[in-house]
Amino acid sequence: MINSIILSYITFVYFGSFMLYLFMMVNGRDIFGRLATIVTIVGFAVQTIAIVLRWMESYSLGIGHAPFSNLYESLIFFAWTVILLYLIMEWRTKNRTLGAFVTPLAFLALAYASFSPNVRSHIQPLIPALKSNWLISHVITCFFGYAAFGLSFGISIMYLLKRLDNDDRENLFLKLIPGKGVLDELNYQMVVIGFLMLTLGIITGSVWAHSAWGTYWSWDPKETWSLITWLIYASVLHSRMVRGWKGKKIAILCFIGFSCVLFTYFGVNYLAGLHSYAKS
Amino acid sequence: MMQAEWSNLLMGFDLQFDVIHAIRHLFVAGFLPFPAGSTRSKLYNIMTSSKTNKKSNALWRFFSSVKLTIVLLIILAIASIAGTLIPQQGQGAVQFAKSLSPEWFRFFSSLNLFDMYHSLWFRILLGFLGLNLIICSIDRFSGSWKRFSTIPRPDRAKPFELLPPEQTFFVQTKIENPVLSIGRILQKRYKRTQNKEAGHDRFFFGEKGGYSHFGVYLIHMSVLIILVGGLIGSFFGFEAYVNILEGGKIDTVTLRKGMSPLKLGFEVRCDKFTVDFYENGAPKEYRSDLTFFVNGKEAEKRSALVNHPIQFKGVTFYQASYGKLPGKKIRLKIAKQASKDDITTLLIEPGRPIQLPEKEGKFIVVDVKGDLMGLGAAVEVLIQPAQGEEMYFWVFQNPQIVRKRLPAPMARSPKFNASAFKPYTFFLDHLESAYYTGLQVNKDPGVNMVWIGCFMMVAGFFVTFFTSHRKIWVRVSEEESGTRISVAGTASKNPVGFQRELENLTNDLKDMVKSE
Repeated sequence: MINSIILSYITFVYFGSFMLYLFMMVNGRDIFGRLATIVTIVGFAVQTIAIVLRWMESYSLGIGHAPFSNLYESLIFFAWTVILLYLIMEWRTKNRTLGAFVTPLAFLALAYASFSPNVRSHIQPLIPALKSNWLISHVITCFFGYAAFGLSFGISIMYLLKRLDNDDRENLFLKLIPGKGVLDELNYQMVVIGFLMLTLGIITGSVWAHSAWGTYWSWDPKETWSLITWLIYASVLHSRMVRGWKGKKIAILCFIGFSCVLFTYFGVNYLAGLHSYAKS
Repeated sequence: MMQAEWSNLLMGFDLQFDVIHAIRHLFVAGFLPFPAGSTRSKLYNIMTSSKTNKKSNALWRFFSSVKLTIVLLIILAIASIAGTLIPQQGQGAVQFAKSLSPEWFRFFSSLNLFDMYHSLWFRILLGFLGLNLIICSIDRFSGSWKRFSTIPRPDRAKPFELLPPEQTFFVQTKIENPVLSIGRILQKRYKRTQNKEAGHDRFFFGEKGGYSHFGVYLIHMSVLIILVGGLIGSFFGFEAYVNILEGGKIDTVTLRKGMSPLKLGFEVRCDKFTVDFYENGAPKEYRSDLTFFVNGKEAEKRSALVNHPIQFKGVTFYQASYGKLPGKKIRLKIAKQASKDDITTLLIEPGRPIQLPEKEGKFIVVDVKGDLMGLGAAVEVLIQPAQGEEMYFWVFQNPQIVRKRLPAPMARSPKFNASAFKPYTFFLDHLESAYYTGLQVNKDPGVNMVWIGCFMMVAGFFVTFFTSHRKIWVRVSEEESGTRISVAGTASKNPVGFQRELENLTNDLKDMVKSE
């Protein structure tokens, strides 16, 4: 199980990059930022290798399947998508401040996966219901959606912090956060990506459920909570595009939206339902 | 500095909105009040004047409000949350209902909270959302149509005000036939191109992506189609299940709603059920080989696997579960207490009376349990002696366990005494068990509509989020020492991407003019 050992070390790598991003924000030295990017990229590359190794290992065990089948694997993949989306964004914006708000998500997901006694890390064979080509498309779309909402969450926090900033205030941390208009725009982009991905995730899930359980929608708690999340972000889009809401209101709605994402991901495990294999 | 860097992102992603544009251009059409007297407000007044009679109708105003949409979305979200906390349908709901006081129970059941997603009020909420969608869409459609179809005059001066220097250039030659050269480039890249001469200037206009105004209607329509597909499914379809023993044949299934039986109109036989296991004992795959009979005649042979349902006459069969049923055949041994050698072995079927070895009467196996009270396999035997009273008792496959696990008085009770009918002792030698396959049996005539709706929704997202209506104007001005060419435009979304497009167009025109 070399892959899970590597993955548990990457927890610390992402923690390191979080600290470096934070140093950069606190003392404003660019060198920390550049180091943080390098550490994050290295961590991401090694994590990618570990995921591929895990995939290969499942085949050598004779139970080959994509590593998206239980809570452990989903947490690993969640961290991976968050870092991937963040790195793309850093590269596009040439700005590193979001790193301090997003790397903790990846670090916490990996820490939970690697060190919680409730999460089993060994490769399990797929139960018949999960043996479907829809597994890969369903999980990938859902988790890119979650990751985009995670980034939107980070940006919302930045927005709410930036509101504390003003000309009289000599706070480097707040000064380094980009302007409110840019944050609002970026937040909006992330919501659009997340909403599109979540919609695709719900649709692929429905198609799959239709062939596995006989019904495309059964009001299973996970389904229902993904719908709740969808409804929240749909109202974010409507309130912004039609009502013209911006800034603080949107940031707060995105905050609520991401809480729904987290509940869809973890909370429903405490409610009975059909997605039981995602619990451990 | 930082602002400029961040805006680089916008060029790459190509999906951002100019929110001001989105608000003013895309949806509002009379919804958000513009400052009175502004040209925009006049424009929108013209656009919406045909609907003033509708607008004055309070009901119409209520249903065309986006506030209502947001409120409905949030109410639906909260109701759905409640539905995941209160157990819905099935065992859980029954248990929860039992734990409530009578008043609360009456309250819960009057609101149908044990099956709220199928309740009238939940459907009314969905109906309101549908109505809201339809009326909002009708209310705004004419505005979108105008924005799509109106071709602005090519010789407008306004677009060229405050033109950035990247969008204009000067050449020291006279362009002989701008309609042929510049007009052709525009025709290649844009639709509905126009040109007009005004004094020393010649103006060109072109546009593309006008359809992006309709993406939002595609999305709204898709939601309606999905809702209608769901309704069709719930009115004209059914959800049922059936267990078929291997070798058995059924013509009736049990509806999940109300547990009532439903005749299929054809018969299904399970020829064979197979289950594969992984090394660790977890099931790997299960499969039912089914044969369908119409009017008693074999019509089709198919296999249902998990994730691979089969359809017959519009009814879909899903491999849902399986189990083992004991007791197709029972091997019983009957010993006379006196001699150990005098043992009779019988292979019997439950429910059929069997003669006792010396014709003292009959016995019947009346019940078969694969596992009775955690004590293992057992059969219940009814003795009908020629003389004397009938008696019932259980015969366990493993009597030692019964003696070990049960308290002595209970273990010695006649109900558990396989030697109760003297002089015989019964032994249960073997229970032959049979697999049964658990099939989910559904009919849903609305499902294709749901898929069409889903497809439309995704298409609508792409149109709404990733396309924009771009209008460009080009002005070719003859000046004393040469020609000045200016490029201007507006886009409904993605101003940064459009800015880049304008600069590219300017550069291409420059290259073309210079090479002539």
